[in-house]
Amino acid sequence: MSDSQQTQPQSQTRTKTTGSDQPLETTSGETVEETRDEWTEYNFDGEAKMVAEDLDVYYGDDHALKSVSMEIPEQSVTALIGPSGCGKSTYLRCLNRMNDRINAASVDGSVQLDGNEIYQDGINLVELRKRVGMVFQSPNPFPKSIRDNIAYGPRKHGDINTGLLARLLGRDDSEAERELVERALKQAALWDEVHDRMDDNALGLSGGQQQRLCIARCLSVDPEVILMDEPASALDPIATAKIEDLIHDLAEEYTVVIVTHNMQQAARISDQTAVFLTGGKLVEYDDTDRIFENPQSQRVEDYISGKFG
Amino acid sequence: MAGATRSQLVEGDTTVTDAVAGATVGLSAILFALAVAALFERVNLTGTVAGLSTVTLLGGLLIGLGVAVSVFGLGSRFGYVETDPDASAGLIAGLGAAVPWFVVGGGVASQTLGFGTVGGVVGGLLVGGLTFAATAVPREDVGSTVPLGALLVLVGAVFLTGTIDPAWIWNLGWEQQASITAEFLVPTATLFCSLYGGWAAAKAYGRFGARGRHMGAYVLIYVNALSIVAFLFILIAFVVVQGVSGLLNGAQVGVGVGPQVFGAVELPVYVPFVMNGVALLNDFQGVLPAIVGTIWLVVGAVLFAVPLGVGAAIFLTEYAERGRFTQIVEVSTNGLWSTPSIVFGLFGFAFLIPRFGNRKSLLAGMLTLGFMLLPLVLITSREAMIAVPDEYRDASAALGVPKWQTIRSVVLPAALPGVVTGVILGVGRIAGETAPILLTMAGGTFVPGGQTVDVIGGFEFTAAPPFVANPELLQATSALPYQLYALITAGVGLGSNVTDPDGFRWATALVLLVVVLSFYAIGIGARYYFRQRLRHE
Repeated sequence: MSDSQQTQPQSQTRTKTTGSDQPLETTSGETVEETRDEWTEYNFDGEAKMVAEDLDVYYGDDHALKSVSMEIPEQSVTALIGPSGCGKSTYLRCLNRMNDRINAASVDGSVQLDGNEIYQDGINLVELRKRVGMVFQSPNPFPKSIRDNIAYGPRKHGDINTGLLARLLGRDDSEAERELVERALKQAALWDEVHDRMDDNALGLSGGQQQRLCIARCLSVDPEVILMDEPASALDPIATAKIEDLIHDLAEEYTVVIVTHNMQQAARISDQTAVFLTGGKLVEYDDTDRIFENPQSQRVEDYISGKFG
Repeated sequence: MAGATRSQLVEGDTTVTDAVAGATVGLSAILFALAVAALFERVNLTGTVAGLSTVTLLGGLLIGLGVAVSVFGLGSRFGYVETDPDASAGLIAGLGAAVPWFVVGGGVASQTLGFGTVGGVVGGLLVGGLTFAATAVPREDVGSTVPLGALLVLVGAVFLTGTIDPAWIWNLGWEQQASITAEFLVPTATLFCSLYGGWAAAKAYGRFGARGRHMGAYVLIYVNALSIVAFLFILIAFVVVQGVSGLLNGAQVGVGVGPQVFGAVELPVYVPFVMNGVALLNDFQGVLPAIVGTIWLVVGAVLFAVPLGVGAAIFLTEYAERGRFTQIVEVSTNGLWSTPSIVFGLFGFAFLIPRFGNRKSLLAGMLTLGFMLLPLVLITSREAMIAVPDEYRDASAALGVPKWQTIRSVVLPAALPGVVTGVILGVGRIAGETAPILLTMAGGTFVPGGQTVDVIGGFEFTAAPPFVANPELLQATSALPYQLYALITAGVGLGSNVTDPDGFRWATALVLLVVVLSFYAIGIGARYYFRQRLRHE
C-alpha cells in the first residue's frame, strides 16, 4: 500500500520532464523553443483597463516576478492561476502598489491605469488605491460595527461628514451615509442578512459574510478595479458559491482581477485566464475557454490536467 | 503486551474506602487551616479550641491523620483495600519524605542527645537515608504512606505529651540573639505535616499508581494556588482590621453632619479621618491633604507619561524601521523600567527642583513619577500595537486611507486595552512609591486641612506671559506613602495632638491601600470598557 503511494510522485516528475524540459534539451533551435514557451499575446475586443509592461519584482535577492507584460481588459473577470510561489499574488499586489508596504520589495517596470503610469514619482497613492481596491485572502473586517466598517473609507476620505462638528456646522451626511452603506451592502449581496443589525460588531459575522463585508467595504469607495487575492480560499463551498456569484455580477460594472488556487473556480467565473508557473513567469494568457480546453504550452496543459503543481 | 498488568476498568464497590480516604484528605485540610490561623495569630496557642488546648488538639489531629494514612497504606499492602500501586513510590517521594526526617534526626541528635553539629549532620543523614530507603524500596502503597504517617505520629506525640508546649523556646545562641519559639515552630511544623499528610491521603484516595500520583499532585497544586489567594486576602484583611478603628474614629452618619462640598451640598456622612487635616482645635485628626496629594500626584504622572509613552510607541511600531535604533530604544526603556526609584528621585531632586522655584513641589513630584511611569507605558503600548494584526493595516491601506488616519482609527482603538493594562501596572507601582516623593515633593507630616492642595482652583490668569500660573502646583504637599514612612520609620510628629498614634498609622496604611486599589478599579473598568467597544460596538 505504501509502495504505490511512493511511486506516484515519481511518475509525475517523469511526465513533467518529458513535457516541458525535453524540447529545451534538444540541440536544434534552442532559442525558438524558449520563446515558444510563452503565449502571452492576447488580443481582446474593447479597452485595456490596466497594462503591465516588463514588470520585475525582487524580494531582496529573490527575483519573484520576471518580466511580466499583460493587458487587463475592462469590465471583465481576469483570473491569475498557478502553483504556490509562482508570483501571481505578487503581480496582483503590484497593480495597486501594495508591494510598497513590504520593505524588502522592489519593483521595476511599468504599470498603467487608463494610460497613466502608476510607478512614477508624484503618484497619489490615496487616489490610486481608491480606484484600485483590494480584497484579501482571509476576511479582515475591522473590530467595529458593520456600518462603521462600510463607512470607514468614505469617512476617512472626507466624502462623508458625520459626528458632532458636522452636526454643529449643519453639514451632517448621515442620510448620505445610510444610502451609501445600503448600496454597498446590496452590491455585495449582504444587505438582506445584516440590515437589521448594522450596529453589531462585524467580527460576529460568519466567515463568508465577513468576506462579503470586505467586498462591500472595498466597493464603498467606488473603485474601478477590484483586486482579489484568493478571496474564497478560507471559506466553505456554500460561501464560496455566493462569492463566485457576486464576482460574476460585479464584472458588469467593475474590472475584477482574481488570484485563485482553484482551477475550477477560474474556469467558472473568469473571462480570461493568465497562467503563472514556477519561477515568477507568465506562461500563457488567453480566453479562459482556450486555456482550459486547448492550451498552447505543454507545461500549462500539464498543470491544468493536474500532472504537476 | 503479555507482561503488562491490567487493573479493572470499572472499580468495584468501594465506597467505604473512598469515604475513609476522602475524610483523611479533609482532616489534613482542617489541620492546614488551623496551622495557617495559628501562624497569623488568629488562633491562640495558649488558648483553647473546641474545649481542648490548641497544642493538644493539633497533636491529636496529627496523630489521627498519621495513623489513618499508615493504616490505609498497610491495608492496601496486605490486600484489605483494593488498590493499583506501582512497584516503588519513586525518587521524588523518597526525597520529599527524607527531608523532614533529616531535620528531625539532625535536631534530635544535635540538641536532645547533645552530639553537636557534626553528630547532628550524621544523625540527620542516617535518619533521612533510612527514610529514603523506606519510601523508595517497598511497594508504592507502603512507601508513600508509612514513613510520612510515622512522621505525623511523631510530631503529634511531641505536641501531645507537652515536650513542646506553648512556652517552649530554643535559643540558637547566635550573636543576633535569634531564637525559635513554639509560636513559630508549632504552626509551621503542623503546616508542613498537614501538607505531607494530605499528599499521602490524596494518593490513597486515588488508589496509588498513576491516578494516585495525579491526585497527590492535584491536591498540592490546588493548596498552593489557594494559599496565594488566601495570603492576599489575609494581607488586606489584616490592614483593614488594624486600620478600621482609626479610620472610623469619630465617624457620623446623618443629615447635615458632613462638610459642605461644591459650596452647597452637605454630605450625609462625616468621616473625620479622610475629611480633616491636623489642627490644634480638631476633635479628630485626619489625612485629607495627603489623600488629595496622592491623587493629584498619580493623575499628574499619568497625564504626563501616557501621551509621551503612547506617542513614542506609535513612532517605534508604525514609523521607525526595525533596526539598531529601535533595538537600542527597547533595551534602554527596559533598563529605565528596572532603574531603582531612588535614582529617579535624585534626578528630580537635582534636575527638576532647581527649575521649579528651588523647593520641593507637587509639580516636581508629578514629573518624577511620570518619568518612572514612562518606560512601562512605552513597553506595554508597543507590545499592544505589535499585537494588532497587520491585516487591519493592509485593509485600511487598500482603501487608500493614509497612515496616520489608520493608526488613529484602527490601530489605537485595538491597542487601547493593552495600553490601559500597562498604565494600571504602572500606577500600582508609582502610587505607593516613597523614595522619589521624599526627595521631590514631601511637605509636612501632620498637615492642616487648610493646606490641602487645590490644583484646579489654583490656576490663575496673569497679565504677563505665560498668562497662566498655578502656585498650588509649585508648593510642597504631602502624600500617603511618604506620610506613612515618616510616621512609622522616622517617628516624625509623634506626640502632636494625635491621641492614638498606632491607630493613626494603621488607618493611614488602610487609606493608602484603598486609594491604590481604587486606581486599579478605575483602570480595570476602563480596560473592560475598551474591550467591550472592540467586541460589540
